[in-house]
Amino acid sequence: MIDVFSYVPAIVLLPFFSFLVALGAGKYLPKGGAFGGIAATAGSFLLSLWVLATVAGGQAANRTIYTWASAGGIGPTDVELTFGILVDPLSALMLVIVTLVALLVHVFSLGYMNDEGETGLPRYYAGLGLFTASMLGFVVADNLLMAFMFFELVGLCSYLLIGFHFREPGPPSAAKKAFLVTRFGDYFFLIGVVAVLATFGTAQFAGPESFPALAEAGEVAWTPGGLAVDTWFTIVGLLVLGGVVGKSAQFPLHTWLPDAMEGPTPVSALIHAATMVAAGVYLVARMYGFYALSPTALAVIAFIGGFTALFAATMGVVKDELKQVLAYSTISQYGYMMLALGAGGYVAAVFHLTTHAFFKALLFLGAGSVIIAMHHNEDMWDMGGLKSKLPVTYYTFLAGSLALAGIFPFAGFWSKDEILYEALVHAPGEPLLFGGYLMGLLAVPVTAFYTFRMVFLTFHGEPRSATARDPEPVRWNVKGPLTVLGSLAVVTGVINMVPVQKVLGIEGIDVLHRWLDNEWGGIEGLSSHHYADLGPYSSEYLVGGEVGTVLVGAAVSLGLALAGLGLAWRLYGVPSPTEHTAKLGGIKDVLYNNYYLDELQVWLAYRTEDVAGVANVFDQGIIDGVVNGVSSVSLFGGNRIRRLQSGVVSQYTALLTLGLVALVLVLGVTGGWFL
Amino acid sequence: MILEALIAVAFVSALVVLLAPNEWAGKLAFALSLIPFAGSLYLWSAFDGSGNALTGGDIAFRTQVEWLEVGGRSVSWFVGLDGISLPLVVLTTFLVPLAIVSAWTPIDSRQSQFYGLMLFMQANLLGVFTALDFFLWFIFWEAVLVPMYFLIGIWGGPRRKYAAIKFFVYTNAASLLMFIGFMSLVFALGDSVSSFALPEITQAIAAGDLSAWFGIAPERMALLAFLAMFLGFAVKVPIVPVHTWLPDAHVEAPTPVSVLLAGVLLKMGTYALLRFNFTMLPNQASALAIPIAAIAVISVIYGAMLALAQKDLKRIVAYSSVSSMGYVILGLVVFTEYGVGGATFQMVAHGLISGLMFMAVGVVYNATHTRMVGDMAGMADRMPITVGILVAGAFGYMGLPLMAGFAGEFFIFVGSLSAPALPYAPVFTALAMFGIVIVAGYLLSAMQSTLFGPFHLETDYEVGPAPFHDVAPLAVLLVAIIVLGVAPDIFFEMIRDAAVPVVEGVTLDG
Repeated sequence: MIDVFSYVPAIVLLPFFSFLVALGAGKYLPKGGAFGGIAATAGSFLLSLWVLATVAGGQAANRTIYTWASAGGIGPTDVELTFGILVDPLSALMLVIVTLVALLVHVFSLGYMNDEGETGLPRYYAGLGLFTASMLGFVVADNLLMAFMFFELVGLCSYLLIGFHFREPGPPSAAKKAFLVTRFGDYFFLIGVVAVLATFGTAQFAGPESFPALAEAGEVAWTPGGLAVDTWFTIVGLLVLGGVVGKSAQFPLHTWLPDAMEGPTPVSALIHAATMVAAGVYLVARMYGFYALSPTALAVIAFIGGFTALFAATMGVVKDELKQVLAYSTISQYGYMMLALGAGGYVAAVFHLTTHAFFKALLFLGAGSVIIAMHHNEDMWDMGGLKSKLPVTYYTFLAGSLALAGIFPFAGFWSKDEILYEALVHAPGEPLLFGGYLMGLLAVPVTAFYTFRMVFLTFHGEPRSATARDPEPVRWNVKGPLTVLGSLAVVTGVINMVPVQKVLGIEGIDVLHRWLDNEWGGIEGLSSHHYADLGPYSSEYLVGGEVGTVLVGAAVSLGLALAGLGLAWRLYGVPSPTEHTAKLGGIKDVLYNNYYLDELQVWLAYRTEDVAGVANVFDQGIIDGVVNGVSSVSLFGGNRIRRLQSGVVSQYTALLTLGLVALVLVLGVTGGWFL
Repeated sequence: MILEALIAVAFVSALVVLLAPNEWAGKLAFALSLIPFAGSLYLWSAFDGSGNALTGGDIAFRTQVEWLEVGGRSVSWFVGLDGISLPLVVLTTFLVPLAIVSAWTPIDSRQSQFYGLMLFMQANLLGVFTALDFFLWFIFWEAVLVPMYFLIGIWGGPRRKYAAIKFFVYTNAASLLMFIGFMSLVFALGDSVSSFALPEITQAIAAGDLSAWFGIAPERMALLAFLAMFLGFAVKVPIVPVHTWLPDAHVEAPTPVSVLLAGVLLKMGTYALLRFNFTMLPNQASALAIPIAAIAVISVIYGAMLALAQKDLKRIVAYSSVSSMGYVILGLVVFTEYGVGGATFQMVAHGLISGLMFMAVGVVYNATHTRMVGDMAGMADRMPITVGILVAGAFGYMGLPLMAGFAGEFFIFVGSLSAPALPYAPVFTALAMFGIVIVAGYLLSAMQSTLFGPFHLETDYEVGPAPFHDVAPLAVLLVAIIVLGVAPDIFFEMIRDAAVPVVEGVTLDG
């Protein structure tokens, strides 16, 4: 019997080796090391499928494989810091998603980078390899510290890839912003990691001695300043959430993501669909047993998520560049996942993470295909009419757009619907959650509107520029990945047809629910049922009980989506569309400038620099001034005292006598001779 | 005898190189400096010490020979290693050959004297980290200043005289304060100690043998001695507000000297703080925990803010050292295994990373002849490998996981958040940790404006990739940083073994 789980480290290491190979020998390899990356990710993908099949066969793994820092034996902070793998239904599913998207992105890069004659390809493929490896390491991490470490490496890789075109001024700046903003979130995350270690003496995710289990049992080794255990759990949960908000680009740390469009488009697909941005949501799902214990943390997550979903969607409405629209849609969609997690919809969040991974990777690669065709012009107002010239791109992009807009029966419909349903039935008596739900619902028509505004402007109507009339054709390496992802965007919904089951009463088609509920096997304590038991929510139904609520919910969200789609059709589905943003008046400027949040953050950065400048003046002037002052005084004093050395013996004798008298006096007073 | 041999080889090498012709003094110095490095690797492999050398642990490679007698107390040649000093010895012998290679390009006059002084400094540094007798230790401690003074004063930048004198006078005055503090402890111990051996003195203090001296009660005596020594060592570390000699010294010093100054000399201060203040007088340290932790946090944040304001790459790295050393102080004062162990680990990690940063900035300077942020842009275009390693090193400085700096800082944070010895420990820890955001801010900004964007540099010559012997030491350092970050246990295990007795030395009430 082969132990497949002993090959799990290989899933992580294969892309890492492709990183080393591309970095060291990419120059001498054909295609700049692309084939190494493709082979490695393909290997990882196959291994992941094998792992998935094994987990479906009822096995799971939670093992420590490397001791990073061993424990010594004394004190309250005596903990062992280890690396290990945790393979359960959640991580097995995520492994497949990440490796599949990474593989397709590698293939697509042949068309987007190699065929377009980019330079620095070894560096590019090295970055992709390291990015994939870091994300996979994060996915299989069996404890919070290891997760943090790979989380940070993911941040490094995003820096390297966003700043890939380092000779231009824009990308290095965007890369810096991405790392810095997410680092700000990771600051809180790091405090959270340390706090978990201090509180529980372990950072393991799973098992009876894991921190969610200890938290559930209320066994803590330490809380600061005699804080109540529940309060402290909420604080720790929110601290870790800081990292999530940064990486998953939630309000107010979302500002790095639209700038990150400076990176090559395949990298955007990887960042948005399967790696960096997904990491935040995955982390919450990974330690959901801990979050489920804190109603406050859940409510905050739900509210941030709902708010971000609506907030980002409104900004997507006025953007002119294809990738910018997609960027804001990513922020918005991850907002939905956060809403789901906060609403107790653990399965719904993972479901949307899955469908979104496929349709967003599809949309970005489709955008990449359009960008190739348009000779790297991304302005949608220069496009139009590409439908007939790029049929494969058009139909796959359309599938992705329908999924994103949440139109029945595409993948996104099912997952978004379930999120809104979970939020709705759990919302009564939870004002923050209800607010999150309302904003999530409001975002539905906005999403459909900006999505189809994008589709109509890009593919429909008359061509509005010379390149749009005669676009560059794309090759198999672009069409292939698009086709695979396009099919997935259509069908992925079938893995979790909960509404159909509830309405028609067909049992067993809620595969994902049963999968995440350890029905085929998994790890004790890491199941959706267990999380539901821990969580604070109870369900309340609207008219017509469960079935009625399902139907009403689905009808409302589908109706809203169709309304948004219809409006977009009416405004932009014409041969020569014009900008309608002027009708928005002053709101347009606010939206176009992203609610001036970037300005606020830049302003904060400059004020910090001002403070630094003041500190510098203080340091040079006052602190160093004192030092130099002391030296001037001693030089001056030395000059004066030098005059004592007069060479006159009688003066020396007098001084000696005086000194002796003074010494006797001092010793006498302190020694008490005169008492 | 191996430690004596190591120090002797370094001294003899210094003399040999001093007499060698300038043309090949650099290569000779490099070859000779590999001997101590090989020796230190042997020490590492054969290390059999356990516990802390000062508190009665088993001292490895111990030699104790009586030398002379001062005031009824014997002074001896007493050297040995424990888990705290061995990593620093390895660090020293590892950095010196690399620093020597990095000098080949920039040092173009009086080479034999330069390399001779470098090796002379190495010999004394090895003495500082191995000596276990106060007088012996103090001789080495002071002797380090002499080559440093000349290295800055002769081969330094335009304001080298000012910087060299400032360095020398400032640290020397501090040494005097420290000397007074320590000697008053020895006198207060009276007849209970018969030598200047540090273990004997430490154990006598722990046993409560301090007695009133000169009308000062023992507790007060210990506190005054603690303060005097703390101030004395604080200058060396350096801790805010006695740090201002450091940026001047770094800016004026040539690259290889900066490497040793940041990489090893600063660690003399933290090493001495650990040995003298925190091991000998743990209860005084613990009583002053709040002000010391406050100073540590101020050093971290204030140092990082100063780095943010600089326009000279070398000044940026110099101020960031102040910031990093703040973490070390925080780790020491919390008196936990991860705190003290992490602080020691951070000494080694920072030695490697700051060494790498100074070296990389030096290699860029060799090509551009400027270090000012506004003067150059897009260097990645011309020196891809150097810049690649510089970027990696900068991320190491920012505490990227799986690099040595993260391990050191993380150990310190784990040790400090819930530390019982430090009131308000979570507040201090969280404040200090904000340093990891500011460090990313200034390093990323500096890199963006100098390394990336369209290439710009006003020169009348073509700027190309750096020669192999400039880049090789950078690569070696980077590998060492990653190895130590992936497997910190190779040092941390022995460090922790020696740190535990330090933690146990403090008595917590309640």
